[in-house]
Amino acid sequence: MFIRPFGYERAGSLADACEMLRERGEAAKVIAGGQSLLPMVNLGLVQPEVIIDISHAGRDDDGAAARGGGAVPGGAVPGGGRSGSDRAVAARSREIGGGDGYLTIGALVSHARLAGDPAVASAQPLLAAAAARIGNPRVRSRGTLGGSLAHSDPAAELPLAMVALGASYRVTDGRSARDVRAEEFHLSFLTSALAEDELVVSATVPALGPGWGWSFQEVARREGDFALAAVAVLVRMAGGIVAEARVAVGGAADRPLRLADVEAALAGASPGEIAGRAGPLRGLSPVSDISASAGHRAHLCAVLVRRALDEACRRSQEATA
Amino acid sequence: MTHTATITLTVNGQRLTRTAGAHLTLLRWLRDLAGVTDPKYGCGEGVCGACAVLLDGEPVSACLVLAAQVDGAEVTTAAGLSGPGGIPGPLQEAFHACHAAQCGFCTPGMLVTAAALLADGRIRSRAEIRAGLHGNLCRCTGYGPIVDAVEAAQEARQARPDPRDHLGRAPAGHDAPRPRPAAGPERGR
Ligand code: FES
Ligand code: FES
Repeated sequence: MFIRPFGYERAGSLADACEMLRERGEAAKVIAGGQSLLPMVNLGLVQPEVIIDISHAGRDDDGAAARGGGAVPGGAVPGGGRSGSDRAVAARSREIGGGDGYLTIGALVSHARLAGDPAVASAQPLLAAAAARIGNPRVRSRGTLGGSLAHSDPAAELPLAMVALGASYRVTDGRSARDVRAEEFHLSFLTSALAEDELVVSATVPALGPGWGWSFQEVARREGDFALAAVAVLVRMAGGIVAEARVAVGGAADRPLRLADVEAALAGASPGEIAGRAGPLRGLSPVSDISASAGHRAHLCAVLVRRALDEACRRSQEATA
Repeated sequence: MTHTATITLTVNGQRLTRTAGAHLTLLRWLRDLAGVTDPKYGCGEGVCGACAVLLDGEPVSACLVLAAQVDGAEVTTAAGLSGPGGIPGPLQEAFHACHAAQCGFCTPGMLVTAAALLADGRIRSRAEIRAGLHGNLCRCTGYGPIVDAVEAAQEARQARPDPRDHLGRAPAGHDAPRPRPAAGPERGR
């Protein structure tokens, strides 16, 4: 671990960090939990000149930040608009808030907190389950939602859950904020729609509606590894048939994918028809790499989708029973 | 921007202040500057768990935290799990009794991870213990004795509720001698 020394700068707010990014450009990297950045730094894959620490953003506001408006449901502001005060942004980035059928999670919320928060478990259990599957306990202690989303690893759990849920991310450049749909945010391998000077503030997901069931499934070589294939499914059954379904897969392409063709094929299916209607998965052409061939991945995805649909249908029927 | 940082951490109850490059990880800060060598450097990528420490009570990879990020924090290493005067704490005793260390390289990280796992006092199944330790690699034991030890530690605590918390700290005024925990499963010699 002989890393090239770099400078360290602690940002008091997200807006400060955006300003520093504009000043320093490519030479700067942002750190929150550090669970994606520091492995790359330790391996010499990234050699920043300065690391900007946002993990303390808004923390020194003596509690004022926490009162500033953390429970804004948000996410539904078309076209963004002014971001409000630094304080409100900072508060939003640290809080889990909800209301009006939405759940908003701050970018600085750790995976452990997301996995263990009772409000998340009741409002959107799929998200809590996805967070609980990330890495190992040490990654979950430090790793943050914003870090995982911005890193945009195609096999990561949270981007997949967000795409399945139809989440929207609030991002800021410190001067104004905009909202980006998860599906339009994750562009390709480790590539997001964030501009050089933008940071994720929060993510907003709809709460699990009445009668919906969910499931999150993944296969990895070793427990805690990135998934070879992962699947997030939501189903609403009505009158014994599938009324609505959302199916997304991760680890199979350069970004998490919603499978619209599969969703459409499932509408109206009875439980006995689901497996036949779902597979082989249309709209999916997995990647081959050192971990698995495309064929193996396609097989894993099909199996996981079937398992996830089973579980989600059962949960939906229990919810309506 | 700063290239050097003066950091104060409370390590196993002791306040330590050191000045060094702002790029140092918590692991290098502990080992190279503070002489706290029980956390080990295995992979530097967060996957092996040899460097695990508790940071304000939460398990972290010390190789994936910048010391400058956590100025003022409280760090507990495996050595901090011992009782007053350095006598082994309950987890350490169970590891000893179950022969859960061979070369010992993974042991400090295993102890810290186990301490975090058992912190809430809930009794876990063997499968849950295995799942809880999956982020810590051991090249020697085959994991069996380590799982035995964690199981023995939680059973010992349940059988005779121990006034010490999972860090081995006795409540104030309590320093009665402790009975040794039940020995681990017998192994052939
Ligand atoms: S050295 Fe930190 S996890 Fe391996
Ligand atoms: S005892 Fe040698 S690595 Fe675990």
